[in-house]
Amino acid sequence: MTVKIINGVKKITAGSVILYAILIVLVFVCLYPFLNVLAYSLSGYNSVLSGKVTFYPIDFNLDAYKEILGKKQIWFSMRTTVLVTLMGTALSLALTILAAYALSRKKLPGKKLFSGLILFTMYFSGGMIPTFMVVKGLNLYDTLGALFIPQAINVFNFIVMRTFFRELPESLEEAALIDGASEVQVLFRIILPLSLAIIATMGLFYAVGYWNSYFDALLYIQNPDKYTLQLRLRSLLFGEELNNAGGGLEGGGTRVMTQSLKMATVAVSTIPILIVYPWLQKYFVKGVMLGSVKG
Amino acid sequence: MGKSRKIKVQRQNYACSSRQIWRYRWLYVMLIPVIAFYIIFKYVPMYGVTIAFKDYNMFKGVFASPWCGFKVFEKIFKSSNFWLSVRNTLYLNLLTLAVSFPLTIIVALMLNEVRMLKFKKITQSILYLPHFVSWVVVAGIATNLFSQQGGTINNLLNSIGIPSIPFLSHQGWWVFTYVLCNVWKDIGWGTIIYLAALTGVDESLYEAAYLDGATKFQRLLYITLPCIKPVIVTMLILSVSKMMTIGLDAPLLLGNSKVMSISEVISTYVYRIGIERAKYSDSTAIGLFQSVVNIIILFFADRFAKLIGEEGII
Repeated sequence: MTVKIINGVKKITAGSVILYAILIVLVFVCLYPFLNVLAYSLSGYNSVLSGKVTFYPIDFNLDAYKEILGKKQIWFSMRTTVLVTLMGTALSLALTILAAYALSRKKLPGKKLFSGLILFTMYFSGGMIPTFMVVKGLNLYDTLGALFIPQAINVFNFIVMRTFFRELPESLEEAALIDGASEVQVLFRIILPLSLAIIATMGLFYAVGYWNSYFDALLYIQNPDKYTLQLRLRSLLFGEELNNAGGGLEGGGTRVMTQSLKMATVAVSTIPILIVYPWLQKYFVKGVMLGSVKG
Repeated sequence: MGKSRKIKVQRQNYACSSRQIWRYRWLYVMLIPVIAFYIIFKYVPMYGVTIAFKDYNMFKGVFASPWCGFKVFEKIFKSSNFWLSVRNTLYLNLLTLAVSFPLTIIVALMLNEVRMLKFKKITQSILYLPHFVSWVVVAGIATNLFSQQGGTINNLLNSIGIPSIPFLSHQGWWVFTYVLCNVWKDIGWGTIIYLAALTGVDESLYEAAYLDGATKFQRLLYITLPCIKPVIVTMLILSVSKMMTIGLDAPLLLGNSKVMSISEVISTYVYRIGIERAKYSDSTAIGLFQSVVNIIILFFADRFAKLIGEEGII
């Protein structure tokens, strides 16, 4: 609390009380939906149906989790998503680092042209259908490759990375180059070890992006065995048919899955992010600032 | 004298350039996969937009299909569904911006006032969290909370004697829910940039104002806000320049057939007629229209920014 010292007596101001109160309410609003999911997923079938669950589980049990984790489909989807996230993040980081490092060098002839061509894609793109046709034409349709290769580089992440590389002291590179190191050696031996924080941030952004993306899978994946976790989650939550409002948001008619089962699936697909999140938080704030201020 | 020297330098540069390129050969090698990526997945699709001007025939391919001028565009501009999607895009974006933009700044200002570092850190971590959750999850949670049958909020309302509210199936309420979900997801994340700007404000300004007897509110009005004005303007321009774009995740996942007339935005429309009905030319033409309008808005926004003395965004 803000404490004012008046005549040697500590005094808590009314303003600061209001401030903290509002922030606590905000925090609650941010957290409550997650608590709601947990409460539903851990509650008994009848308590959920009777509408008693709000803040905490009633008739605590793990049945929903047991059932969801006993489904083969979920494990298939989990495997697909983990694979896509790992391969995608690796490819994205590799390409972004290469582009950012090469184009961070001030004296590279043609640097402006290449950067310009990359930035232009932020403002203009072929759009959904032409990209879809390219992916189909390359025989990537219905393969996992379609889920990460076409969106490997994110322009925003490229800008952040390039800004970071530019701010490293140039003398480091020059000294190494004079000592006979090649550009490749400079990148691997000098630049990368100094950039672990930003690489972690970008890695997190890419990984979360791949983990969370469902639309690419909706576009490019036909075979249900190759569904990613988010796509599986969507079809479990809202039914296969998108326009099917009956089985969709309002959940009228037959209830294929109980609400606790649905919420357990939501929890299962979100928990991995919640686990890595706190570890990387201190990095990404820096990354965002770097990108937005200089971008 | 000066002129001849200039020429000499120029000639030297010219003579150097091929040697320079050789000197940087490894950097170019590094760029090869990047360039390949951009050509294949970004620039080839840009060529692909020509099917908006073609009678696209799947068997002939993009190249061989016959040109048809602006026929596709004429057809689209006559379609009321298209204009509906344009209207909805602008409407939902404007509404979300009007709510989330000031709110983000206010939350950032409040966080900046917090002196208890631990409290501040925890609050920030929690406020950023929703940004990292997928839209599928958000839509799932929203259903659980807002559904008319068994949604938590409606259960609570019923228990205190208020009838259920159709958050997801009534147009007006759907817009409310849509904006709420967007604000919930990204308001905390949006504060990062303002908090960064706020840490850059010179402390001595506050001290001087304090000694001059300025109240807290006066300090906010005459020091804090002017100091972060450039960031506010830049963020506002960036948001305005995205007016014609809504990612299709939120409207596609939150929408349903009952609210289609308000939830159908350009991106979902492109998806529906392009992928679901395989009208490739129509869908591409709409996407192209959207891109071009975006670029025009961006251009004007950038001009405007420079006009009022802020840094541009392009």
